[in-house]
Amino acid sequence: MSEQLHEPHTGEPGHADDHGHGGEHGAHHGSPFIQHHYDDAQHQFDSGKLGIWLFLAQEVLFFSALFVAYTLYRHHHPEIYSYAHKYLDVKYGAINTAVLIFSSLTAAWAVRCAQLGQRRGLILCIVVTIACACTFLGIKYIEYSHKVHEHILFGRYFDPCVSSGGREMLNRNNNCPGTKSTVVWDSGAGTATAGCFNDLDQDPHTEGVQADCAVKEYGLTETPKRVTQPKVDPDGKPVVGADGKPVTEEVEKPEITEHFARDITEKCIEEPLPGEEAHEPARTSKFPCWRPAFQPAVCKKGVGILVEYGDTEEREHTRIKAECKPAPKPTDAGDLLADRGRPLQLGVAQIQPRHQLTVHEQHELEAAGPPPEHTSMFFTIYFAMTGLHGIHVLFGVGVFTWLLIRALKGQFTPDYFGPIDYAALYWHIVDLIWIFLFPLLYLIH
Amino acid sequence: MSESPAAELHQDEDHHHGLSHVAPIKVLVATGGSLLVLTLVTVLATKVDFGANINLAVAMAIAVFKATLVILFFMHLRYDRLFHSVVFVAAILAAALFIGFTLMDSNQYQQTNIWNPDSPPPAPIGPRPTSG
Repeated sequence: MSEQLHEPHTGEPGHADDHGHGGEHGAHHGSPFIQHHYDDAQHQFDSGKLGIWLFLAQEVLFFSALFVAYTLYRHHHPEIYSYAHKYLDVKYGAINTAVLIFSSLTAAWAVRCAQLGQRRGLILCIVVTIACACTFLGIKYIEYSHKVHEHILFGRYFDPCVSSGGREMLNRNNNCPGTKSTVVWDSGAGTATAGCFNDLDQDPHTEGVQADCAVKEYGLTETPKRVTQPKVDPDGKPVVGADGKPVTEEVEKPEITEHFARDITEKCIEEPLPGEEAHEPARTSKFPCWRPAFQPAVCKKGVGILVEYGDTEEREHTRIKAECKPAPKPTDAGDLLADRGRPLQLGVAQIQPRHQLTVHEQHELEAAGPPPEHTSMFFTIYFAMTGLHGIHVLFGVGVFTWLLIRALKGQFTPDYFGPIDYAALYWHIVDLIWIFLFPLLYLIH
Repeated sequence: MSESPAAELHQDEDHHHGLSHVAPIKVLVATGGSLLVLTLVTVLATKVDFGANINLAVAMAIAVFKATLVILFFMHLRYDRLFHSVVFVAAILAAALFIGFTLMDSNQYQQTNIWNPDSPPPAPIGPRPTSG
């Protein structure tokens, strides 16, 4: 092996000796990795190469099933594709395409280095290939985590918190992170204090402020109770009896107990909206919420946050599940009682809108219309295709890491570089599939 | 050493050498560069409105061309044994058949009917199947 590296080789290394099947291992002049059951290095290399090409053919067929699903669904529902692809960021897709193409180049270059016995070049090319693969996976992670975060998922998990244009909106289950387009309604004063505020002086249209929203309602019960307490005279002095001891008396004093403490929004859903007689219990919308309009809720008690979603014909209401911090619990229940009918204190100035939609944005969203039915299918296909491809990339990272270790040990020589060639071929097919996935998923007109 | 008739035996580097064809650096870099340029072209082509079908056709044409470059130069299929091309092209043809045949009769199926007791679908024509 070392002779191959340091001596200028003459002729064809694979044919260095004709050892035959029974030949001893030590009889090789070439790489020790040439197995006995092959005639020579060429035989071993060609066998492996045929094997990898058959594997690649299988890969094409493997992925073709997903391409069939894609094609068929796009054929039947082109509107889903032209709507849903806007959820994908072309920028990330294009960067990933470039990264994969570059890694394909370095993989091909690695083969060349191995063929020519350039060990340092080989190691460098493998390292760059691994780095590119990891970059690809990193960008994929950014994309995936954004989709998980905003509920842009497959099947019934598709419940986006953003519109396809990237505008924020409320979703069906109101489980978006942060608070969006929330309206705090002061039923006592009869006015809406729009948005969640850090403090009431802050501009509600401030964008991008992050915080939590806290609304809590306490249910209080007054129980009439007789208690024994020291008797006081009208001046407030304890009345002392004839025996010199304080006189006690039984008085009626209501005991205030807290029988529930819950998120105020729980309450609001049962209350009628302003200008409406009553409304039905919240139903699950057919559409993921696309209409960002918000409607303040009037709560008989406390502060309500209610957000409307659904299409215009069938107005459906639901509450926003704000990520609330509980309001500081008043120590004196009497204060709470006095506060009934007035807005409760919102938790310690922790209320910030994630993003308050401007009127323009609302119009934009409404013009875009609701997502077509079965939009989730696009993401089912998206995650199946990019996920399977991603697994291939991950596997490629493993293979190239193994090759890197072997290359560092100097195991590849001009008469034994098959594994590098096969891995590079595999890597090219991974690149090839992405070349099709990129325009099919990201670049829909 | 005879799998590629086009290859010339050069003693130092490039072309045929050792066990198989060695791709010249120029070819590799040119292929990689063209692929990157074509990626840019396909992104820009989406911004032009040719109509949905033509846009798709353009994007696919560019993708096929890019794939061909990868196969021919990065995967060395141009210099490789003919049999490897046969294997790979056969797989692609099979995939094309798979997609093509599925599309061919995809309009022949009815929409899935979801049972609605208020408006049941019309009874099928023909005798009612007898039980047992």
